[in-house]
Amino acid sequence: MSNASLADQLDDAIERIITEPDSAPVSAAAKVDLKMAALLGIASELRLLPDPRFRAALKAELLEKCEEPVGPQDVRRYSQTQPRRHSEYDAILPSLFGADGGTYPVRRGNFAISAAIHAAMIAIVAIGGLVMAKSQFRSHATTFLLTNLTYPMPSAVHKNGGGGGGGDRDKLADSKGILPRFELAQMTSPAMVVRNEQPKLVVEPTIVGSPTLAATADNGNPLSTILQPSNGAGFGGGIGAGRSGGVGSGDGAGFGLGYGGGNGGGVYRVGGSVSAPRPIYDPDPDYSDEARKAKFQGSVVLWIIVGPDGKTHDIRVARTLGMGLDEKAIEAVREWKFQPAMLDGHPVAVQINVEVRFRLY
Amino acid sequence: MKALENQKLENQKDERLQVEAARQDPARFAELYEDNFERVYAYIAHRVPNREEAQDATADVFHQALAGLSRFEWRGLPFVAWLLGIAAHVLSDRWRRFAKLREVATDDWELPGAEDDVERRTMLYQLVDTLPVDQRQVILWRFVDQKSLREAATELGRSEGAIKQLQLRALQNLRDRMEGPLRQRRNHV
Repeated sequence: MSNASLADQLDDAIERIITEPDSAPVSAAAKVDLKMAALLGIASELRLLPDPRFRAALKAELLEKCEEPVGPQDVRRYSQTQPRRHSEYDAILPSLFGADGGTYPVRRGNFAISAAIHAAMIAIVAIGGLVMAKSQFRSHATTFLLTNLTYPMPSAVHKNGGGGGGGDRDKLADSKGILPRFELAQMTSPAMVVRNEQPKLVVEPTIVGSPTLAATADNGNPLSTILQPSNGAGFGGGIGAGRSGGVGSGDGAGFGLGYGGGNGGGVYRVGGSVSAPRPIYDPDPDYSDEARKAKFQGSVVLWIIVGPDGKTHDIRVARTLGMGLDEKAIEAVREWKFQPAMLDGHPVAVQINVEVRFRLY
Repeated sequence: MKALENQKLENQKDERLQVEAARQDPARFAELYEDNFERVYAYIAHRVPNREEAQDATADVFHQALAGLSRFEWRGLPFVAWLLGIAAHVLSDRWRRFAKLREVATDDWELPGAEDDVERRTMLYQLVDTLPVDQRQVILWRFVDQKSLREAATELGRSEGAIKQLQLRALQNLRDRMEGPLRQRRNHV
């Protein structure tokens, strides 16, 4: 057998010895070549050849142990002469309370250091988690009303929002006429054509609004040009094309295009006799994933109506921010609850603006 | 024959001095460790299936020996006999602990020839250190690090064929170097 082929065969067999230690390549090879068998015998004994690095490391470890001021035997001797304060705990945790944990001496100082390091690590993880949680999900939201709630507002003379309308399904449009007096509550709706000439109890017709409001016209529906008497095409009593006993084309017992009573169009505005609604449940909005990833901050202004029930209605975006934060602001504000705005002791619907600020911190 | 006996006595005397020195100064235990490492390791390696277990058990033996050196008494046996006694206990403990995990055939512990095998391995491990540097390196890469010939060739910057030849020469060298002392032992017996 040539030297080269012997080297090849030997290497193949060594590979088997290393990868399949349970097989018996030596005996198999022995049938072929005695020289080869002798070499493979040596190779199989070399399979567990000690690692020089292990040998050096173990020596270093032993020397380190030798340098310890108190050896295990000394600990044992010392412990025999000293009263054992925690002997009842030895069986529970010998590695801490015992004189040694078997072969190795106990160093209680190491336990203290280990405990301190663990406590510090746990604190770091806990604080880090809290900070991360806050920075990811916490946003700061603020309601910003157009009126400053802390200062009394002067009474409005001509307009404070709201409106009303009425009619009794007449074929003619409502007539021009004198606007009735504003009262907080309406007992009788106004009418240009009186259907009941002989009422049992005569009550002055009024429309709903702040009594401080002054009439803006001399006759009936001041917006009308019709001179023939008519209550208008609306319904629910009152005058005009609207509904609900007011005057005009709105919805309510007030006057004008708005609804809910009052004068000036739309719902009531805060100010004058109308107090501001006060939020009583205003959960913060969530951050959108997109904005969080982009670390995007800013404010969204929403236009909302707070109804007499304290709920929010008709939410619209007055100033957009984007990145999904407008939708998040609307979602949150839709859940809000208010103590409703009050007009002379009665809850009324008001329109307010709300600013929702998104901040990452 | 008498010369051999004298040498044996001389060795025992040296060893006794080493043990006394190690008792006074534990740092001197390093000498006992160096003198007996291969034999203890070979004794354990003969009885465990892999290198990790052999290393763990060897470490246990020397740690226990260092811790219990003060209890060692001279009874006319060499120091290594005491170490091998500790090794037997360590192995016994380990096997008892892992008995549920695997079956261990303890009957063949002391098969005839086991002692010879340990001696042979001890000699072999010691002879590896006497090989030429490149041959020793190949043996360590191949058997300790379990690298392939290709990896060894890349690291040494030589061809795969050259590494194969180095490996062959290393094993032949070990075989030749072992034959002399073994023949000598056989003659004495």
